Amino acid sequence: MTTLVGPELAGELRRLGTFDAEVCMNCGICTATCPLGIDVLPRQVMRFGLLGLDDEVRRHEETVFSCLLCRACEASCPAGVHITGNIRVLRRWLLEKEAV
Amino acid sequence: MSDQVTPSPGKRRIGVYVCHCGGNISDYVDVDRVIDAVKDEADVVVARDAMFTCSDVTQEEIAKDIREQGLDGLVVASCSPKLHTTTFRGVARRGGLNPYQYTQANIREQCSWAHTDDREGATGKAISLVRAAVARTRLSEPLEPLVVETTGRAVVVGGGVAGMRAAIGLADMGLGVFLVEREAELGGWVGDLPKMFPNGTDGHELARRLQDEIHRRPAINVFTRAEVVEKTGTYGNYQVTVRAGGEQIRLDVGQVIVATGFASYEPEPGEFGYGAPGVVTLADFTRMLDEAGSPLVYHGRPVKTIAYIYCVGSRNETHPYCSRYCCSAAVHASLLVTAADPGVRQYHLYRDMRTYGRHELEYIESRRRGSVYMKFADDEPPLVTSDDGSLRVTVRDLLTGGDQLAIGPDLVVLVTGMVPRDNAELTTALKLPVGLDGFFNEIHPKLRPVETVVDGVSICGACQGPKTVAESVASGLAAAAQAAAVLKRGVAELDPQVTFVHPEACTGCGQCVGACPYSAISLVERGPAKVASIDAAACKGCGGCVPSCPEDAIDLAGYTDAQIRSMIDSLLVGSET
Repeated sequence: MTTLVGPELAGELRRLGTFDAEVCMNCGICTATCPLGIDVLPRQVMRFGLLGLDDEVRRHEETVFSCLLCRACEASCPAGVHITGNIRVLRRWLLEKEAV
Repeated sequence: MSDQVTPSPGKRRIGVYVCHCGGNISDYVDVDRVIDAVKDEADVVVARDAMFTCSDVTQEEIAKDIREQGLDGLVVASCSPKLHTTTFRGVARRGGLNPYQYTQANIREQCSWAHTDDREGATGKAISLVRAAVARTRLSEPLEPLVVETTGRAVVVGGGVAGMRAAIGLADMGLGVFLVEREAELGGWVGDLPKMFPNGTDGHELARRLQDEIHRRPAINVFTRAEVVEKTGTYGNYQVTVRAGGEQIRLDVGQVIVATGFASYEPEPGEFGYGAPGVVTLADFTRMLDEAGSPLVYHGRPVKTIAYIYCVGSRNETHPYCSRYCCSAAVHASLLVTAADPGVRQYHLYRDMRTYGRHELEYIESRRRGSVYMKFADDEPPLVTSDDGSLRVTVRDLLTGGDQLAIGPDLVVLVTGMVPRDNAELTTALKLPVGLDGFFNEIHPKLRPVETVVDGVSICGACQGPKTVAESVASGLAAAAQAAAVLKRGVAELDPQVTFVHPEACTGCGQCVGACPYSAISLVERGPAKVASIDAAACKGCGGCVPSCPEDAIDLAGYTDAQIRSMIDSLLVGSET
């Protein structure tokens, strides 16, 4: 299945708070340090938001909420991405969608 | 080092030094037996062995022997002459002996290394080779380098940044320069470019500045709409014929610098949608950015989304190399787009980002400013389709777990690389060495990066392979320094081991003229007859003409017929002691 990418979702996320997934250089250190070991955490989940893949974000709702916000990833991120901040923004967006 | 000095009744005083090479030779060759075999040869007054003949200590001992024993010939039996000819010629010179009265016998590659299973055979062969070297040395005569005056001018072919900077450099070193440009104006590719990475320097302005510098220097003579058609002459004195405006002009120069640059890769029709409206090359796109205002408009429609596809025409079967500049140039272009209109969405589809060195900072900056990067697999490039004028790019993005994604861009930029220019005429005229990739080849990429195997011809800039502006300019200056190193002395010293004619024996048959690959031989009038005459500066000492002469009227200095014959004779004597 091919999904069309677009800027709308990233725009919506930025209205809800700071979302800086574009700074990520996809090294994968965050995924390696994540104590939960969920493979889409947190790099890919952020990327779903960046590329505008709404369905993917919804499909991974549980993952987004399972994050412990421990910041192990943030401490190791060489690009200085505000990873837990981005996860919070994604949670906010998911909650808003549910409220609708 | 054991001394075995024997007074000799012969006419010459030759020193022979046999090397152990730390065991490389002596493990398989009986060095003592070699010494014993040659120490009583006629004319041999010194015969010694040494653990490492090339060591400083032994070199000095040899030089001392030359002085104290009054040696007039030197033989070192060691490794390949390729390795140490210059070393021991230097030792001879330091001892006061003419360097061309030295002979190296190769008893390592040709004896100990080749016959590890046969100590007896290896030793015998070594004895024969040393005897032959003594025979050659016995007939050696002092030779002096040929000194030729050089023409203190250079021709630079190609008026891009590399060529212009080389010309300015040469002029500033006090040399005359002819700058030959194929197009109507100087400037090359850079003269056609807007802001360039990494600092946003304007290409037009950079080229103009160099042109101004050139026009301010009367030592630089510029020919535009001009092409090189022929090069003749000898080392340091070449005649280069240039075709300009329908006439042929002869330039007398001492050095030639080639700076003919690259060609931008032109995709095949249909390659990543090339040919469809909205699919452009990086070269087209940079020109568009230069001309377009803000917001960016293509064919009357505003551009809101751009997809870049990297490595087009590079790192594939036909062009296996990386073009080096394109990643950085495309990232820089995207930053210019963002600066003009932050609302434009930009997707970069790449194989590997190679924004090396400081260019990495622009890559980071472009991500901060919202550019999105997607990585595709080598064997699964993105697909560009055009339907009713609307473009669609589909890509399997490895960074999103291999999800199949689609972009609907207003513009697709094919990030095209550098390919060699079609320079068939110039390549033939200058006999330039061309590599497998189609670019011109230097002698050694690290140590001799601008010289070619063709005497007097250097190369610089992107005609050698993909280069950035900074790298092109640096190599242009390197070529200028290399050319000036030859020309500023005013004279050049050439190897005296060249052929010469015994005119009294020559019948003027002309066989040798055709045998010479360097066109160094001609027939000249000598009284009523014609005889062969060899231009020593053009001769490379290959000896190809020598056997072609039915009268044995040609000799090669340092390897005369008499020397070769005496070497063969001593080889036929064999190794018996």
